[in-house]
Amino acid sequence: MDNSSIAVSPKKTFGKALLYTLPMFLVTFMFITGGKPDFSDPARTVAILVTFFGMNLLYFLMHYSGKTDRYRAIIFVIFALTLSFTLIRNMILIRNSMSFSQADILECKIPFCHLVIPMMILPAALTKSIIFPGTILGGFADIASMVVLWLAATVVLGRGFCSWGCFYGGWDDGFSRLRKKPLVKKISDSWKWMPFAVLLLVALTAALTMIPTYCNWICPFKAVTEFEKVTNVESAVKAGVFISLFGGLVVALPVVTRKRTQCSFLCPMGAISTLSNRITPFTMKIDTNACTQCFKCVDSCPMFALTREGIKEGTVSMFCSKCGKCMDSCSRNAIHFGIRGVPAGTRKNFSRNLFLFVSFLFMAVFSSQPIVFTLNSLYNLIF
Amino acid sequence: MNEPTLAEKSLMTDSFILGLSSGSACLVTCGMVMFPYIMAGRGGVMKIVLDLSVFLATRLVIYFVLATLAWYFGQAFLTSGIVRTFVTGSLYVMFAIILIWYSIGRKKNMKCPAAIVTKVEDKRLVPVLLGVVNSIGFCPALLLILTKGAAQGSLAQSWLAFLAFFTGSSLWFLPLPFAGKLKKKQVIETIGIFATGLAGAIFIIKGLILITGGILNG
Repeated sequence: MDNSSIAVSPKKTFGKALLYTLPMFLVTFMFITGGKPDFSDPARTVAILVTFFGMNLLYFLMHYSGKTDRYRAIIFVIFALTLSFTLIRNMILIRNSMSFSQADILECKIPFCHLVIPMMILPAALTKSIIFPGTILGGFADIASMVVLWLAATVVLGRGFCSWGCFYGGWDDGFSRLRKKPLVKKISDSWKWMPFAVLLLVALTAALTMIPTYCNWICPFKAVTEFEKVTNVESAVKAGVFISLFGGLVVALPVVTRKRTQCSFLCPMGAISTLSNRITPFTMKIDTNACTQCFKCVDSCPMFALTREGIKEGTVSMFCSKCGKCMDSCSRNAIHFGIRGVPAGTRKNFSRNLFLFVSFLFMAVFSSQPIVFTLNSLYNLIF
Repeated sequence: MNEPTLAEKSLMTDSFILGLSSGSACLVTCGMVMFPYIMAGRGGVMKIVLDLSVFLATRLVIYFVLATLAWYFGQAFLTSGIVRTFVTGSLYVMFAIILIWYSIGRKKNMKCPAAIVTKVEDKRLVPVLLGVVNSIGFCPALLLILTKGAAQGSLAQSWLAFLAFFTGSSLWFLPLPFAGKLKKKQVIETIGIFATGLAGAIFIIKGLILITGGILNG
């Protein structure tokens, strides 16, 4: 057994962890302030400072404690909650309601979200048209900047996007942590192929009809963002579907299974991200010399990416979202972030530091504005 | 060419989804019959493409005939709007439940009805006969598309529905020439089964919308 690989711990001393946090300090300050610090508004100043120090504290703790998922999840869940708050607040400010009308669709006033992307590809390639009624460039949540950000995150992180960049993943991630032990343990492995069936259906039907069918009929997160105004039986049924799927796949099932069931069983974006895992520079690796085959990592994985057979062979499936939960559960640091081409069990700390910097940066870029906006609004509401 | 109307788009989407579900269900059941015959290797990929084209063309012809028959019976029996709504809605729900059961609950070792066709002596007829049996063989998705065809106001709409149905189901047969090179047949089958189940769920919702709409509108 190669004992040297076991001795490598992701924990760092206080000074070293602080040193690793310094670059993140600078970059997040740029992103959060937009490069032009303006502290004239006390509410916004408080919001910016809390977001800035909070984020960097969590990043510091990732390095200092050696735990990844524990601190990632805090920002990820807050991100999902604040993003929904931001969207709802914007809807109410603009339209006095969470629902949108046909007029809003015709005027292209619907905020864009990355879940539309799988349905945009075929129509864009075939007809050179964007099938989403949003703003292409400029304005709140425009299409161009969202697509560019998503593309960059997907190329670099692969399915890591689902745990570090996704706007909504924090919802079922959060609910999956509410119980200490799962009530339902045995779930068929084959369900993880369901998102590919959803992707197949929505991508092809969207190409056929030029309508984003997933957003129109399935998306559970419509329940916590914006949805079509209920004016007839069809729109009422749609609202019912959104709420049922949210209640079932985002709330109930994650609570009883401790798995991210919406991400694993429904999300078509997850299917694309899963495929992109094959080309990204970062992977999860298993150091078979250090592994004792206790399979704690298999039980802890929220995305059905690890199997006992895989662990024995030293392989992680393409379903991995690089959340780091398996790493936190492994006392021997046998499962670790790695770089493609670098053998498992080597350069563990270097790979982890590099991955954490890149993935945390994406998370900070995506999440900082909704968090600042929410804190700002709450401050104004309270004081 | 005129842009399709919203109703036509909806008709095409529903039928296409059904076609996808039908294709995946049939492929799972009949894959083991189709693969060995079409992959028999007399003439390489070109021969496979030719056989597949004959097979698909036969299916298309059969579907046009079925579209015409469905529309004719729809005109004859579903005379009033309210009867049309309730009958169509109820049949959607019923057949969609069967479709879900068929896709997820059925036995893996189900026999393919097309198996007998491959025993015909004149092998040139096999793709044609496979096309016929595959088109009219029992499949809940076919019952759903027949219901849809019957509920259409014009023959052209019924044809359009069956054309979209044919397109959706045929997508599953396109990888056949390369079937020997596909490493993940099991995965494709699993995705196909889930797609079938999803199509069933969609049609249950569609059926319920029709029934509820019918009740509310008197």
